[in-house]
Amino acid sequence: MITALNKDLKPFEDLITEFAREELKPHVEKNDRYPYDSRDAEIIESNFRKIYDLGFLGIMLPEEYNGIGQGISALCMMLGHVAEVDASYSLIIFTSSLSQEVILAAGADKTAKKLFPQAKTAQDYFISFPSFTNPGQVVTLPQAAISGKDYKLTGNLDYLVLGNFTNWAVIPAKVSGKQGYSFFLVDLKDKAVRKSAPIFSLGLHACPIVDITFDGVNAQLLGEEGEGEKYFNKASKVLHVATAAISSGIMKGSLKEAMDYAKEREQGGWTIVNWSEVRMILANMTVKSKAVDMCVAGTCQGIEAGIPDWGVYSMAAAIHVHEMACEVVTDGIQVLGGNGYMKDYGQEKRYRDARQVQALLGLVPLRKLSLIREISA
Amino acid sequence: MLTRSQVKSFISRYPDFRDEVLSIHYAPRMPKAMVKETQKIVALARKFNDEIARPLFLELDRKTHENPEFLPWDLVKKANEWGFYTMWMPKVFGGKGYNMPSIAYFSEEIGSVCLGIANVIGVHYLGVAGLMMAGNTRVIKKVMNDVVQGEKTGDPCLIALAITEPMAGTDVEEIELEDRGKITCHVRKVKGGYIVNGTKIFISMGRLSKWTVLYGYTNLKKSSENTVVMMVKQGMKGFTYGTHENKMGQRICTADVLNFEDCFVPDELVILDPERAKGFTKQKSRDVKMRHLDYVLSLSRPVVGSFGTSAARGAFEAALRFANEAEIDGKPMISYEWVQCRLAEMYSNVRLGRLAYAEANLANQHRGVYNILQMKPIYYYLKYLPLAFFNNVLSPLLTNRSIGTWLMSKWYLDGQKPEDQHLCTGLGSLAKFNGTDIGVKNCQIALELMGQTGMRHENGMEKILRDAKLLQIYEGTNQLNRINVFKSLIAPACPKAKIFEE
Ligand SMILES: Cc1cc2nc3c(=O)[nH]c(=O)nc-3n(C[C@H](O)[C@H](O)[C@H](O)COP(=O)(O)OP(=O)(O)OC[C@H]3O[C@@H](n4cnc5c(N)ncnc54)[C@H](O)[C@@H]3O)c2cc1C
Repeated sequence: MITALNKDLKPFEDLITEFAREELKPHVEKNDRYPYDSRDAEIIESNFRKIYDLGFLGIMLPEEYNGIGQGISALCMMLGHVAEVDASYSLIIFTSSLSQEVILAAGADKTAKKLFPQAKTAQDYFISFPSFTNPGQVVTLPQAAISGKDYKLTGNLDYLVLGNFTNWAVIPAKVSGKQGYSFFLVDLKDKAVRKSAPIFSLGLHACPIVDITFDGVNAQLLGEEGEGEKYFNKASKVLHVATAAISSGIMKGSLKEAMDYAKEREQGGWTIVNWSEVRMILANMTVKSKAVDMCVAGTCQGIEAGIPDWGVYSMAAAIHVHEMACEVVTDGIQVLGGNGYMKDYGQEKRYRDARQVQALLGLVPLRKLSLIREISA
Repeated sequence: MLTRSQVKSFISRYPDFRDEVLSIHYAPRMPKAMVKETQKIVALARKFNDEIARPLFLELDRKTHENPEFLPWDLVKKANEWGFYTMWMPKVFGGKGYNMPSIAYFSEEIGSVCLGIANVIGVHYLGVAGLMMAGNTRVIKKVMNDVVQGEKTGDPCLIALAITEPMAGTDVEEIELEDRGKITCHVRKVKGGYIVNGTKIFISMGRLSKWTVLYGYTNLKKSSENTVVMMVKQGMKGFTYGTHENKMGQRICTADVLNFEDCFVPDELVILDPERAKGFTKQKSRDVKMRHLDYVLSLSRPVVGSFGTSAARGAFEAALRFANEAEIDGKPMISYEWVQCRLAEMYSNVRLGRLAYAEANLANQHRGVYNILQMKPIYYYLKYLPLAFFNNVLSPLLTNRSIGTWLMSKWYLDGQKPEDQHLCTGLGSLAKFNGTDIGVKNCQIALELMGQTGMRHENGMEKILRDAKLLQIYEGTNQLNRINVFKSLIAPACPKAKIFEE
């Protein structure tokens, strides 16, 4: 839908769909795994490198920082197509964009100019971020204390996306004596950083997540002290719709698999698509999926046109789309009956992934309430 | 005011008030001791949760991820040690003879901690129901004796039930659809028994069960009239296991493929045979089969409803724990109205799920298969008569080929009026789809409240979401169960309605 409204994105779309089909699809089942083992570093690295080589990790990053310099439509189109095949990789691309947006929102121009153009590998280019958190909602963040020109961080941060793989992370922490929180750039290779084993989570298994402990690690402040919330809100405002795009992609995958199966599977002497109740489930899935597709595309257009209240649309779209997605993936299993529950098919993974995506950027009810705060302000 | 006959006429008009609110009609008839017994069973389940289930369930789930071939033998042995596999078998067959409805409350308790463990225990009783509802007392006695011995010797003997086939899932759960489906498990009469060829899939605890209730068909085109139900034992020649399914949830409870290749099953293990049934009932083969299936599903579906309720409860309890601990803007999360309202909604779902299975239980108790057992004098006789009476008087009577089978079949096959059958199967389906839908719904609410905390395996919540989804599928998909509610409870008001047409 996004490309139908914005023809300029067609070459990108061709590239991304080919990548998803050729590189991701054959390995979805294998990469959706627990426990993680020694092979994983290699698997992640090779997939990651491909995404990096194609420039997907810097899709919205301006060209001056060695990015592709596209807008939110391009990012959402890409996230959707990838998620249709394996949403774990959408999480990787999303997190890369989120940390970049936070750095830019903080006005850390110098840092960005140093970091991205100099990066030689995916590990250097990708900046980890705790994408499932709104740092303002976390009761205990790491503490930052001034040490010479820089800061030292101590304490724990849970659930850092790809923290076991990359070299850099943007970390929210509290500066003693200051209101609010601040963002810091941290070198994850530092000895004062301890990483847990990858966390066993509900979904998105091809993108490992770890807990981190800082034992007085050196950290570089991004922007101003205590202004973290402002930067996070600015970055997430545009990226809420990106999480919606991931869910929309998952929904399309679920609908397609359900439809294909219903046309093949026979019960009661004919293919199950002939049972009107099965058709009704498929119709409900279609209504939700199509409406959501339009909602994501329209929101992207609105953001790019700078319509009033575009941030509200972005956030509202995300909340609504996630809700629809969780319903669609549940029906998506149902249409396949017992087979839908098995790992040989894609539906059970989508059922898990959709919930995991819904948890991005903080608690759902708090996101809803912040929306009303913004409108009533 | 109204005359007596007017009251009767208004009450019995559709929807018949007596059928709509079973609790007010039947609660007063409940033997007091049954309530006490149920409390004892719930207490036992809670003790098992504290000592076995809660400390183990996450570790077991992890193990099944690390090794998809992992089999829960230690858990099964523990459940066996705790006596769970004989608790709801009748005393006359060596079981503990606890009242059947209590299994739903028991399952809700265990399932609120781990649905997989609840099913490791509960699905044995699907097998027990399949065996019992065929009414062949000699075979019942033989198989149940193995279960009892298994408990005594510490070598668990479980019973599975195998009806689903690769090409027929919904079709074999509904007699109206069966003959249109692609059924493949063929049985052929030979001297002294049957030869079985075919495959059954998704059989819960299949490879961990010594005995399996197997559904085969002498005529694959007209299976509804030609169903032969038999007991097959692990190790029989021609009976092997295929792959162990890699499922999303309830991973500790295996789902297995059962292969039969020229497997000979002797006549002594056949429990329902259309030819033999003719000797003691006037009903047509198809009706006998339907009654059998209806009985089994009327018993099993309320229990699946209780599993669903347990998922709803597990999710509620996880969200409650989280809300009690978390803070928002420096204030306890639990103090916010919106949190309280979500928790109230979840709690209400749990109670509504429970009411639905309790109503289905009441239907089975007073209008269905447990009818006789629930009459106060019989209940008390069975509960308090010395064991010797069961062993020396009742058991030989029931296991006498002609008297026993005649008695059981009179009771089971001819004893229930069609409208009572509709009530039982309808309410079973209602409890099943309602309980399991609210199970998944509460998981969704809980995960939204918990965010990333809910995503982590160690916190248990994500597992409930994975486990709960299965409940909407097995024991008939929720679509089939909705249609069954229409067919049994609503269609009488719709003369034009045709079922399974569109
Ligand atoms: C983990 C697991 C454990 C199980 N354990 C057991 C067991 O112990 N013993 C056993 O015998 N079986 C068992 N089953 C099988 C279970 O009962 C079946 O999966 C279930 O009946 C659905 O059948 P199916 O999977 O073939 O789906 P299908 O029948 O193929 O259904 C696919 C979809 O079509 C719909 N559909 C089909 N027909 C109709 C219709 N007429 N009208 C409207 N919609 C229709 C269904 O609702 C569903 O959405 C188990 C299954 C699983 C997944």
